[in-house]
Amino acid sequence: MKTPKSTIQRIAKNALLSLFIYALPVILMFITFSIKGERPWLKKDNKVNTVSGKNNSLKEEDND
Amino acid sequence: MIKFIEEMFRNLNTWGLTALTFILGFAEFSLGLYGKKWNKNEKFLDIASYTAPKLIVGPAVAYFGLKFLPAAFPALKGTLTWIPFTFGALIIAIADDLTQYWYHRLHHEIPWLWRFHRTHHSAPYMGMAMASRQNIWYTFFFSQTYVTTILVYLGLGYPALFVKALKSLITKLAHSSIKWDKPFYEIKWLHPIAWVLERTISTPATHHAHHADVTDDGVGYYKGNFGNMFFFWDIIFGTAHISRQYPKTYGISHYEGDQWYAQLFWPVFKSKVEGSELAADGPVVREDIVKQPVVEEEEESYSPEEDLDLQPSLVAASVTSVSVNNS
Repeated sequence: MKTPKSTIQRIAKNALLSLFIYALPVILMFITFSIKGERPWLKKDNKVNTVSGKNNSLKEEDND
Repeated sequence: MIKFIEEMFRNLNTWGLTALTFILGFAEFSLGLYGKKWNKNEKFLDIASYTAPKLIVGPAVAYFGLKFLPAAFPALKGTLTWIPFTFGALIIAIADDLTQYWYHRLHHEIPWLWRFHRTHHSAPYMGMAMASRQNIWYTFFFSQTYVTTILVYLGLGYPALFVKALKSLITKLAHSSIKWDKPFYEIKWLHPIAWVLERTISTPATHHAHHADVTDDGVGYYKGNFGNMFFFWDIIFGTAHISRQYPKTYGISHYEGDQWYAQLFWPVFKSKVEGSELAADGPVVREDIVKQPVVEEEEESYSPEEDLDLQPSLVAASVTSVSVNNS
């Protein structure tokens, strides 16, 4: 059973838009830094923004 | 105060959400919301689906985050810790939930992927019992889990703690057979909140529509409403259907109770139900059995146009998306 061509076209179109949405928070963040004149990535004493090791393996319970 | 909130989310991620699942599940069961549909086969499948990922997928993801990433990319650990909390949370929320939207949508729109997701839809009821019900491979390849694990490894673990708890809470409540969103549609002064809510996050009304055994009857819409935490992905991509009503029947119209192990492990085990999509010689996608649409009688039909006085541009966008998809 093949995927209809119209579905593939819609998926491709929406996927392109998704790439922009993925990038949006990063773009917004750098615009904010630019306005405020901040460059936090240059700071050497970056506070480690991680929680305990167990959160590295965040469990996935959420389903569709 | 921040410490308290942090502790609350930390507890949610460890034992809180599990406790909530059991409390809600007990309430649903006590209220008879599963009817007589929760038979032995369904019980086995639901319980195995809830347990198996914890035993199999959990360790796999832990290995990926704690062993594979540090070994493969040791220099990248914690490189994004400089990202402020708000932006970190935004990045995680979008990366995780949009990825899951796509993972979910593709399993509905690409025929050969459907059978890996079918198990989640075969439940003829909604509730905590079926919220985790999935084919094991679908859970194993949950793409957003790995995306988020990578972001945590890069240093966004702290915002992830909050986003993941919030997401789990929203998705659990959207699957619940307790229709917590109903008052928002029934009480007039709550309508503006309902309008925003149903377009922002998954609610029982929109997510139940996705689990209906019929589509395009004005209520059920399994061809869309793919959003997990956020519903606005469906609005943006034109896969949304908002009716403020709940389907009368759920599941798959041609479901005949495939064996729990076949649903959990397909294609390793096949269904013995003749003609089933999970049977050895079954079709990739079986046609729906057409029946008369059933809608809860007391419900009034809802049209997004009714709220046009609220935010015309946004309503217009969602109306367009709905009509496009119903065509």
